[in-house]
Amino acid sequence: MVEIIFVIPLLTGVLAFFLPRNIGRSLLVITGAIHLILSGIIWAGKPEPIFPEYFAITPEGMLSLIVISLLFFLISIYTTSYLNISNIRSESVFTGSMLLFLSTMTMVTLSDHIMVMWIAIEATTLASAPLIYTHRSAVSLEATWKYVLICSVGIAMALLGSVLITVAMDMGNVNAPLSFSALSGIARHLDPLWLKTGFVFILVGYGTKMGLAPMHTWLPDAHSEAPSPASALLSGVLLNCAYLGIFKTNKIMHAAGLSDFSGPILMIFGLASIMAAATFILKQTEYKRLLAYSSIENMGIIAFGTGIGGLAAYGAMICLIHHSLIKSSLFLTSGNILMGFGSQLIEQTGNLANRMPRTFIALFSGFAGISGFPPFGIFIGELFILFGAFKAGHYVGATLFMLSLCVIFAGFANNIMKISFNPSEATIRIPESAALIWPQYILLGTSVLLCFWMPETLVQTVLLAVTTVGGGF
Amino acid sequence: MIESILLWTLAIVSAPFFAAVILRVKAFFGGRKGSPLLIHYYTLAKLFKKGSVYSTSTTLIFKLGPLVSLGTAITALLFFPMAGRPPVVSFSGDAIFVFYLLGLGRFFTIAAAMDTASPFEGMGAAREAYFPIICEASMFMVSILFYRLTGELSLSAFFSGNQPAQFWSTAGSPMIFVIIALFIILLTENARVPVDDPATHLELTMIHEVMVLDHSGPDFGLIELGAFSKLFLYSAFIARLICPFDFVHPALDVALFAAAVLLVYIAVGLVESVMARYRMDRVPKFVLTSFALVFFAAVITLEFAK
Amino acid sequence: MNGPMDTILSLALLSILFSFASSRLPGLIKVLAFQGVVVSIVPLFAGHHLSIGSLVFTLTTLVIRGFAIPLCIYMVIKKVSIAREVEPIVGYHASILAGLLLIVGATWAGHRFDLPVNTNSQLLPPTAISLLGAGMFLLMARRNAIAMVLGYIMMENGIYLVGTTFSMRALHIVEFGILLDVLAGVMIMAVMLQNIKQTFDDVDTARLRTLKE
Repeated sequence: MVEIIFVIPLLTGVLAFFLPRNIGRSLLVITGAIHLILSGIIWAGKPEPIFPEYFAITPEGMLSLIVISLLFFLISIYTTSYLNISNIRSESVFTGSMLLFLSTMTMVTLSDHIMVMWIAIEATTLASAPLIYTHRSAVSLEATWKYVLICSVGIAMALLGSVLITVAMDMGNVNAPLSFSALSGIARHLDPLWLKTGFVFILVGYGTKMGLAPMHTWLPDAHSEAPSPASALLSGVLLNCAYLGIFKTNKIMHAAGLSDFSGPILMIFGLASIMAAATFILKQTEYKRLLAYSSIENMGIIAFGTGIGGLAAYGAMICLIHHSLIKSSLFLTSGNILMGFGSQLIEQTGNLANRMPRTFIALFSGFAGISGFPPFGIFIGELFILFGAFKAGHYVGATLFMLSLCVIFAGFANNIMKISFNPSEATIRIPESAALIWPQYILLGTSVLLCFWMPETLVQTVLLAVTTVGGGF
Repeated sequence: MIESILLWTLAIVSAPFFAAVILRVKAFFGGRKGSPLLIHYYTLAKLFKKGSVYSTSTTLIFKLGPLVSLGTAITALLFFPMAGRPPVVSFSGDAIFVFYLLGLGRFFTIAAAMDTASPFEGMGAAREAYFPIICEASMFMVSILFYRLTGELSLSAFFSGNQPAQFWSTAGSPMIFVIIALFIILLTENARVPVDDPATHLELTMIHEVMVLDHSGPDFGLIELGAFSKLFLYSAFIARLICPFDFVHPALDVALFAAAVLLVYIAVGLVESVMARYRMDRVPKFVLTSFALVFFAAVITLEFAK
Repeated sequence: MNGPMDTILSLALLSILFSFASSRLPGLIKVLAFQGVVVSIVPLFAGHHLSIGSLVFTLTTLVIRGFAIPLCIYMVIKKVSIAREVEPIVGYHASILAGLLLIVGATWAGHRFDLPVNTNSQLLPPTAISLLGAGMFLLMARRNAIAMVLGYIMMENGIYLVGTTFSMRALHIVEFGILLDVLAGVMIMAVMLQNIKQTFDDVDTARLRTLKE
């Protein structure tokens, strides 16, 4: 009965297209709540899927699922207030697409079949394209066009990679279902050459969606032009879904004894993303793009950690969870700033500390969290990755990693200071109502909480997930 | 040997006749009666009866031009196995020799055109030098392909006997691309539509015709005859490829070969009737198509010849 | 080189060269339609056992790739009456030469892989690789939005070739996925094109240059 968790948002999503505004908004929150409850049930009970050949509950899927549920629920609460203030012409399309987006992303976390996974990720592109185009302006159109074109090409690459894995099955004379779990079991019988080729294509394909450099060019545009709740979903959850595709393929590679091949590739893409982010983050003039580049950086960190394996893979998983929590809170906060100052430019903002004190707290603590300061979880994740890198002897990689993080911190801090303390004459257009603040606080609080105290089941699930790619203590 | 010489003479003698076929085809499509099939013989006879006029600014090069261009064209024909019968002369590597003979002829035509110091002729010479460069590349690609298929490098090895038929059986459909490419080369090298229009009267748009403006009388006759022979040579390449049969019986072979050559000329006439001349800047793309085609054919054929 | 498979595949390769040389959108669409037809019928000659299901699938693909999609794009062109030039970033001559190099490279690379099935054609891997590369090339080397969509379709043709012929068992879900991909991609891009046209009065992607670093 696991499938019900993505069928419900699918149905409500379709329904929302035809409903008037107010009902649509409450539908968003209600679906978010149901989704949260259902994923809680899945964590507690681990029910069996109806189509076991297509769907399965995996530890990495469960981790992503609970993050999606929590984030979506909080974002939906934020969205109701957001929609009151901001002027969105076709609101039913927006809410409907949000729900469909939730449905497709949930499907990604649960899918076990290679092709179902691919179809689900393709569906996330289709469902999220209208979200980016919400404002109907020339720039949002451009962002959507880039997003659709680049991601379609990327996804086509991933499709090719998936097809090549079936060729690897044929070469090895393997007769098994085309699912990640089944293939991991018999990975050593697969033809290594085709498997490697397939992995590279899948990495490039899903890597495009995940925002790894040099395929990241759509990401800053899409994230900055989408309305803030949608940006939060894109950055906090969609990137994780794409990562899940890479992670599961990497699982097969590890099981086939080819982690010597996949690891360095992941590390190179990861480092490239971190360095690309470091290069571009310095001269950003818009705060939403700043956050988008920080997402690229964090995805790079996660890929880097996964590639190293061992302790670093554990750290990468931690980073994945905390990045979702902190980055989505930051994007929601950026929505407040945008509504307050009416501009995406850093120059047009300022003196946030006095003008919007509650938003300022969310922004500043989010900034501290994303830059890897304790007491936020990314600190632990990055620390583990560094330990892992030194332990595995990747000194050059670790050095580049640290240097880039310093540069990114400098660029980030500079801009955040400008927003917070620069003098500004602008009048603030919105009141800081509770629904616009508390979702961020809860997200950040969760991150702090998880930094000090992780429930035993969570630790076990993370460990279970990362051991399949050669991670763990 | 005597048979070969006879065939060679016959080829040169019949070349003007075939060229007239093109005019006839065009006339037919234009709804006109057209000139007689022997028109070019009358023209040649008329030209040879005249005297030549030389500009005082020209030198010996100007007089050499027509002679060399005719000489190279008919020498090139010596190496071609007419109707699949043995050629008059043949040695290993003569394919390259023939291409460079034709290149030499072109060089002298260009030099003669430059010698007049007329701006029009200089313009024509520049074009004449530019377009055949790409043609040469495709011509060499054809020889590379044929060399890989036969292991030899002479026209007689490529075109005599049943070798063309063997090309078809080893290479198969890519031969169609080779034929199309050769046809494009033919149109370009011989200044036909759509690269150049032999019937045009505007010097600005001419290539070949503008270069021979200053030649008169017998000199012009020599140039015309050289052009006919060159056209015949290229048509013969294609004719052997589209009609690769070998009946061993000489008369039958010659008749079939003549029919195939006629077909190529009719095709040229058809192209001239239905197409207009390309704008100058589009010509390189057209010529490049031939290179692309033959290169492509070579790549996929050699794949199978391994 | 006389089997029907080789002839079909060499036609597909040839269509790449023609697509690189086309300067006009209608011409490019026709080349793509031709390529769609040619690529769709390859599975019929691949020597696999053909069930009724896969036959129907092949014919459906043929109709969609060869007729429905090109017609749909052609209608878009007509409707938005856009510039017909493909606006190359890389010139046509250079494109043709690049295409030739691509085919040579693909031939070289195609021999590095063993295929699980005896496909009775050595041209299959090179053709698939060339189609993929050529699609990427069109995406990068043409500025016109529709030309980019056509490049994407060409890439999909390559993937279709890999998906239907490399693998021994026809995994229907794979084929379904491929069809879904191209359909969804083309649909959403067609919608986008209309919007681009409305917003910018043109579909030159050079207009889409405000967002950059």
